[in-house]
Amino acid sequence: MPKVTINGIEIEAEKGMTIIQAADAAGLNELKIPRFCYHPDLPIDGNCRMCLVEVEKMPKLVIACNTPVTDGMVVHTQNDRVKEAVRGVLEFLLINHPVDCPICDQAGECWLQDYYMKHGLYQSRIELGEKIHKRKAVDLGPMVVLDSERCVHCSRCVRFTELVTKTGEMAFFNRGGHVEIGTIENRPVLNPYAGNIADVCPVGALTSRDFRFQSRVWFLKFTDSICNGCSTGCNVRIDHKTGTIYRMVPRRNVDVNKSWMCDEGRLSFHTLETVNRLLAPFAKGPDGQLIETEFNHAVDQMDREIGETVSKKGVGSVIGFGSAGATNESLYLMKRYLTEKHGVNQFEFRLEDEDKKVEEREDDLLRRTDKRSNTQGAIALGFADAALGGINGAAKAASRGDLTAAVMIYHPKLIHDLSGEAKQSLKQFIDSLQFSAILTPVRESWMDGASVLIPIGSWSEEEGTYTNFNRAVQRGGRAFAPKEQAREAREIFAELLGLQRPGYFVTQAEEVFTEMAEKVPAFTGLTYKGLASNNAKVPPPEGRYW
Amino acid sequence: MKNSDFKTINVTERAEAQEKNANPFLETVKGFGFTFKRFLDHVTGAEDHLISYPEEKRPYSNRFRGTHILTVREDGSIKCVACYMCATACPADCISIDAAEHPDKSIEKYAKRFDIDMLRCVFCGFCVDACPEEAIIMSREHEICEYTRDTTIYGIDRLMNRPQAVDMGPGYRPNYPMIESKLPFTPAHPDPDKAGKPVNTTPKKK
Repeated sequence: MPKVTINGIEIEAEKGMTIIQAADAAGLNELKIPRFCYHPDLPIDGNCRMCLVEVEKMPKLVIACNTPVTDGMVVHTQNDRVKEAVRGVLEFLLINHPVDCPICDQAGECWLQDYYMKHGLYQSRIELGEKIHKRKAVDLGPMVVLDSERCVHCSRCVRFTELVTKTGEMAFFNRGGHVEIGTIENRPVLNPYAGNIADVCPVGALTSRDFRFQSRVWFLKFTDSICNGCSTGCNVRIDHKTGTIYRMVPRRNVDVNKSWMCDEGRLSFHTLETVNRLLAPFAKGPDGQLIETEFNHAVDQMDREIGETVSKKGVGSVIGFGSAGATNESLYLMKRYLTEKHGVNQFEFRLEDEDKKVEEREDDLLRRTDKRSNTQGAIALGFADAALGGINGAAKAASRGDLTAAVMIYHPKLIHDLSGEAKQSLKQFIDSLQFSAILTPVRESWMDGASVLIPIGSWSEEEGTYTNFNRAVQRGGRAFAPKEQAREAREIFAELLGLQRPGYFVTQAEEVFTEMAEKVPAFTGLTYKGLASNNAKVPPPEGRYW
Repeated sequence: MKNSDFKTINVTERAEAQEKNANPFLETVKGFGFTFKRFLDHVTGAEDHLISYPEEKRPYSNRFRGTHILTVREDGSIKCVACYMCATACPADCISIDAAEHPDKSIEKYAKRFDIDMLRCVFCGFCVDACPEEAIIMSREHEICEYTRDTTIYGIDRLMNRPQAVDMGPGYRPNYPMIESKLPFTPAHPDPDKAGKPVNTTPKKK
């Protein structure tokens, strides 16, 4: 293990690391070296020269991103020689920059702005009229917009398309001051990960088309969460303002999604804007139509009717129907409520055979065929009833009269619609039941036959954990409160179970998770706070049933 | 514009000098002296210092911070590029903007919606200072009386079309002669600084 001294601080680095990696691994803010072209998940290029540092006994300044550490190396990143060199590099990068920050979407999170304030602060020697002008607002397909003038030629986008998606759309054109990035013949970037090139771009050259001019970034609030698009469970950051999601960007997690996410997932939050949201509880009136009711009445009716059915027809006639889009906490509390209070022992969650395709890949990078975020969690919590075999089996049992009542959590799929077959089975299932209570953030046509509809918070409105395809348990944050009368599903069941502690408004997801870790074997040893680490995994369930 | 166009007044020095030489008793007497002078003017009818507001108005400074004006380009389209600097600087949070793609690629972005809630506005002028495009300036109009609250939220159309400001002229703005922007209306006086000459500039002799 080589020991390196950076700015007088001795840090231990791993063999083969470069200076910038060693400095980043130390995690100290004062050791942060400025960079444009270096990206931890892309190969090293060393073209921007922004990370110049002084290494003792080396005659010239070296770039930190491409100089391997050696034992006893002494590095200076803050002395006058380095500062002057970095300022010079920045001045060169900004020679032809149009300084159109007022209309640039990157403003506020632009590395050029940050570095200018930190390392630049020189008087410009270039008149605005002398700058070389390049193409602006170039259409590069549905995900990105290119502005050549703002580019610092770091080649991150070129390396991303070459080596991550392996499609190679982006390239450099021309030479010298006229060099610019682009695609051949201005073809659109159409690969399914195109949105990432706007993320890797450290400046405003490539910006997201979806987010274009929607909001300035300093107005947004950030919530760390998990993408609800598929079973990969990419780590994302939800950027939102006053109850509206403006964009989703990936967070780095080396074990799950590195620094990337797919375009479907990136735009998946728009689904929540188009669906018909259920904003108030409904209950079946005397004429068989669903009419708006009070929240407590709806919940009480569900509790009472399930109890009555169990006492009249036995536990075999009631089913708890979970959703692979719900959090582990909601599913756990739903199961606990039905088993503890009513003795129900039948549980199911499968709408489209999610369990069979949960690990199936859609492509080589991230996407998976199972478009549900918590299939493994539902399996681990025992929601897959082998005897029933999904919604089709449940619908048949209901039409035979074996099942007469159900409590159901339903979350819509954010990517792709539910298959017509699944919808038909759901309709048949709900229509055949004598009593059905659906906890759902959306109102869909198959729900018309239900007895009670209770509005719950959708993804991004409820806190909790999701278990991805690889059984990694990850924490998803709550960006904002559920809309109007809706409440988090976890909260509703916690109240029915009498878990609400005095002085607390709601039962926190952390409390539920701690209990779950004690009681459910699959989650043993996990702590809610520890989930942020990359190694929190659920072991495979004993004796897989498929 | 050169710096020499402005007259520099050092307020600090003047204030310090005044404070040093001030005699509390004498100052009070001086103050009342002025009051009595005005009183005698009235009683004797030598000079009338009153005006019949609102038919007559006092002259307002060309730094007066009244309701806002959105300036325009040469072709009459809105100057604002929707950078949200004014909304960011606004301490009252009264500006709301929606941006849209401009058909001209060299402009790229413009404000599709620009609302100022005049009831929330504190007329601090920070928006004018923050604007990088000289797109928002202030007028000398300050009488914001409406029948409903909704109409006190001024939209683009209203901020660009100001019948009151036509008479009174522009108020606070960072560069006194406008450098690049134009007013969306022609002030009554051809020189925007001298526009809005008040009805009553000198005291009337009776």
